[in-house]
Amino acid sequence: MGTPMPPADEIDFSALPIYLPEVECTSRERIRAIQLAKLIEQVDYTYARVPWYRDQMDALGVAPADIKTLDDVRRLPFTDKSALRETFPFGMFAVPLDEIVEMHASSGTTGKPIVVGYTAADMEVWSECIARLAQMAGVTAADRVQMAFGYGMFTGGFGLHYGIQRIGGMMIPAGAGNTERHIQMIEDYGTTTLIATPSYAMHICEVGERLGYDWASSTLERGLFGGEPCPPHLKAEIESRMHITCTDNYGLTEVMGPGVSGECLAHRDQQHIAEDHFLWEVVDPATGEPVGEGEMGELVLTPLDKRGIPVLRYRTHDLTRVITEPCACGRTLARMEKVRSRSDDMLIIRGTNVFPSQVEDVIGRIDTLTPHYRIIVDNDSGLDRMTVEVEIKPEAFSDSFDEMSAFTRDVTDRLRNVLLVTPVVRLVEPGGIERAVGKAKHVDDRRK
Amino acid sequence: MSITQISVFVESRPGHLVRTLDAFAQAGIQVRGFCAGDTGEYGIVRFIVDKPDEALALLAERGAAARASEVLCARLDDTPGELRHVMAVCADHGINVVYCYSLASTYIALSVKDIAAAEAALADADIALVGQEELSCALAGVTL
Repeated sequence: MGTPMPPADEIDFSALPIYLPEVECTSRERIRAIQLAKLIEQVDYTYARVPWYRDQMDALGVAPADIKTLDDVRRLPFTDKSALRETFPFGMFAVPLDEIVEMHASSGTTGKPIVVGYTAADMEVWSECIARLAQMAGVTAADRVQMAFGYGMFTGGFGLHYGIQRIGGMMIPAGAGNTERHIQMIEDYGTTTLIATPSYAMHICEVGERLGYDWASSTLERGLFGGEPCPPHLKAEIESRMHITCTDNYGLTEVMGPGVSGECLAHRDQQHIAEDHFLWEVVDPATGEPVGEGEMGELVLTPLDKRGIPVLRYRTHDLTRVITEPCACGRTLARMEKVRSRSDDMLIIRGTNVFPSQVEDVIGRIDTLTPHYRIIVDNDSGLDRMTVEVEIKPEAFSDSFDEMSAFTRDVTDRLRNVLLVTPVVRLVEPGGIERAVGKAKHVDDRRK
Repeated sequence: MSITQISVFVESRPGHLVRTLDAFAQAGIQVRGFCAGDTGEYGIVRFIVDKPDEALALLAERGAAARASEVLCARLDDTPGELRHVMAVCADHGINVVYCYSLASTYIALSVKDIAAAEAALADADIALVGQEELSCALAGVTL
């Protein structure tokens, strides 16, 4: 029977595995030394092999020899998604294609796909990063791990698959979709770990409940989430309804894929960055200048040993802050706060900045609503109008129009207090908001 | 004496009410009366059916937002002024009828806050009230 983890202060962290303690638990000084040595070599490698970077660096008047300290990274050019698009498909590759052993492409959430290629050495780094985050969640060789991400061009499926195999776990490559079959497989094969997007895990949970599946007595112990941000209330709900412990990881196709950072069980809202493979900076999204230590800003990543497609100072557009104090789990690698918003998913409604994560938080705190929502923005009347569709739980339904409209007003007020914009709240039938198998699409901005 | 009504939350869009009616039809549940009200965005549709427990279980299983509540059911004589008579009795006793709708044939369902008080007032005025079983017998063969 599945046994979810107790709260952080009751966990004996010495009993949990750490994949690479000599790196994950080393001193800050040693990490910085590893980063500097790798950065110098990586800039050399990139300048010598990728014309796009050579042109950019020449234009800025910076040469590889100018990189002498970690702070010198700021002299290097930023890379944006557009650079990878302009050079589609192979323009940024640093090696002949014979040395590439696998390619992937981004899911194209915002525009054309981005193509990436991995050398055999890149695949080693990638699976090592995944192995680390799987062990942060407690996965060992004894685990049976069921994949509910799609395989294919998306980095999540194969990335997690290789990393789990690296620690000897048994992969059950079910793939995305066919929810009832997933539940049957958990039952038949004694699956202990489910890999899924949080919204699909919630869907599996709901379908199971509807079929009368008893999650409490299932073998399932944990969920490894990714592919989309996991709001805390959604995680908490999945954990209590499926009787499992859920962690999630962070990554981007452009710098590797999943595994850039992963959540340990000591700080559930933070993720340890694989700092020996990724140099991080946090900058003001408007100016590109570094923010103060521990302050919120845009995460900028430089992979330190990427051979197939080296990337310097990649602008993630993800907003976070980074903490460098040692963690109760025993790791010393820096922790980034989980990304809840992106500098580019901010909506401007009648001049006010609104983040979808704010809507998500308000809805998550109303226990008569399901966590599913959709934001629709239009300006048909010349004025921006924001509609928030929310699903009532069956037990919250009242037979009285008065009570239902009071309920709608209450949800509207709560949203207005946080957003400082008055949305139109639309109640939708339970199950009425489409469930995503991959990334959930929460915003439909019809003004564009 | 009261009868059970099933209320269902339905979005005001084509095809949404059909889902509920499909479920009833497939399960052989007979609709004896209904009323549908809306707010523009969504509606509450209320049903009087022959097997309310079954209907509610069916809707719950489908994950629908539905609930059962008790309403009074009065049988009217087929003569002018009968509906007025019922409403006048309620008014004279200060009983507010929250909503009211007619079923198949000359039966009306009345929603009031205090069922017992309204029942007493109507019974005193010789208005025939019917319960679940009696309604089933009376409306056998009258399905909407």
